[in-house]
Amino acid sequence: MSFEYHEPTSLAEAVDMGARFGAAGRFLAGGTDLIIQMRRGTVAPEHVVSLHRVPGLGAIDANGGIQVGALVTHRAIERSPAFQGRLRALVEAAEVVGGHQVRNVGTVVGNVINASPAADVVPVLLTLDATVVCAGADGERRVALEEFLVGPGRTTRRPGELVTAVHFASPPERSASAFLKAGRRRAMEISVVCVAAQLTLDTTGERCEKARVVLGAVAPTTWRAREAERVLEGRPVTPQALHDAGRAAAAECRPISDVRASARYRRLLVETLVPRALARCIERLRNAR
Amino acid sequence: MSKLSLTLTINGERHEVHTEPHRTLLDVLRVDLGLTGTKENCLEAECGVCTVLIDGQAVNSCILLAPQCVGRDVLTIEGLARDGVLDPLQQAFIDHGAVQCGYCIPGMILSAKAFLEERPAATEAEVREALAGNLCRCTGYQKIADAVVSAARATATRR
Repeated sequence: MSFEYHEPTSLAEAVDMGARFGAAGRFLAGGTDLIIQMRRGTVAPEHVVSLHRVPGLGAIDANGGIQVGALVTHRAIERSPAFQGRLRALVEAAEVVGGHQVRNVGTVVGNVINASPAADVVPVLLTLDATVVCAGADGERRVALEEFLVGPGRTTRRPGELVTAVHFASPPERSASAFLKAGRRRAMEISVVCVAAQLTLDTTGERCEKARVVLGAVAPTTWRAREAERVLEGRPVTPQALHDAGRAAAAECRPISDVRASARYRRLLVETLVPRALARCIERLRNAR
Repeated sequence: MSKLSLTLTINGERHEVHTEPHRTLLDVLRVDLGLTGTKENCLEAECGVCTVLIDGQAVNSCILLAPQCVGRDVLTIEGLARDGVLDPLQQAFIDHGAVQCGYCIPGMILSAKAFLEERPAATEAEVREALAGNLCRCTGYQKIADAVVSAARATATRR
């Protein structure tokens, strides 16, 4: 590792440095991915721009939608009262990222930018239709998270652009969420498959109004199972409907076989975990009444 | 590449360090300051032997750049005993025979320290989850968990 190190003290200064260094620079937040990648030599920036002295980026802003700043750690998500209740899945995902030491410094925005198909927090953000807030020389732009993620480790972030936050609307009433992860052990593990679900019921409390089913580690990016969502929306949330959603998700996902699991096993996990996550949403909705 | 002059607060003492920006807190602790109680192993935040506390939170010092630690309080295993008296956690590890080869122990104790500060009445299951980021190659987890749980109970009784 060898680089020039910078510590901007304002957002404007950070954005300016990003624009100046372009592809030769990298922003540093928690560093749980970046430092390891630099040590392995898979990335070798000439300039590292640490964000830890930029004010405001560590905030979770829950006024009018929810904005999670670039320095918000997994630990902060776990501890924040804003993410109990309907946003519980976000906590469930944050609390299985690495061990305590990693969660104390690793950030949600870093999880997004690293763009691992097996990321834990990203599927939950996709169920929330999150947008990514990017700041560059030409000002700010907002990109749908689904369009931001294009492949393993690949995003539509432009060279030098700073992702300042992820943003999402508060889920409506009669909504619940759940996150489930399958790994070979329960901690410090990369997902074999993970599933995030978000369910909104209609006023009768029986029928699904809106569903989001998002899968991790079964496609080149974190991936919405649209067929499964279609199976659910407008239907009563019966055990049969949940089962059908699981089958649809298993049929439409595109897993590969690798060191962690075979494609076939991943499909079986999807078929099992999708109905289980949806059932958990329903249970939470019933308990919230 | 230019060197940086950093003032680091470690175990309550201020240290002036001149170092390249790519060096980690772990490098500075072990090489520049001779604080070798913090161990080095995987260098990828997987094993936890390099765990130190920054402002009371457990972190892997192998992936933290030294300049990121300026203005923050770093606690290493050398700073845990006070006036020659071991921390109750350290004493509990001795009492339970929780130390085998010893390499993982500084990290184990500091992870446990941060966790018990936050959750003094922790159960064994919670302790095990809190120590998930610390690996013991001797696989001595049972006695380690026993030691931490007993330290938690002792502290809870005193309060």
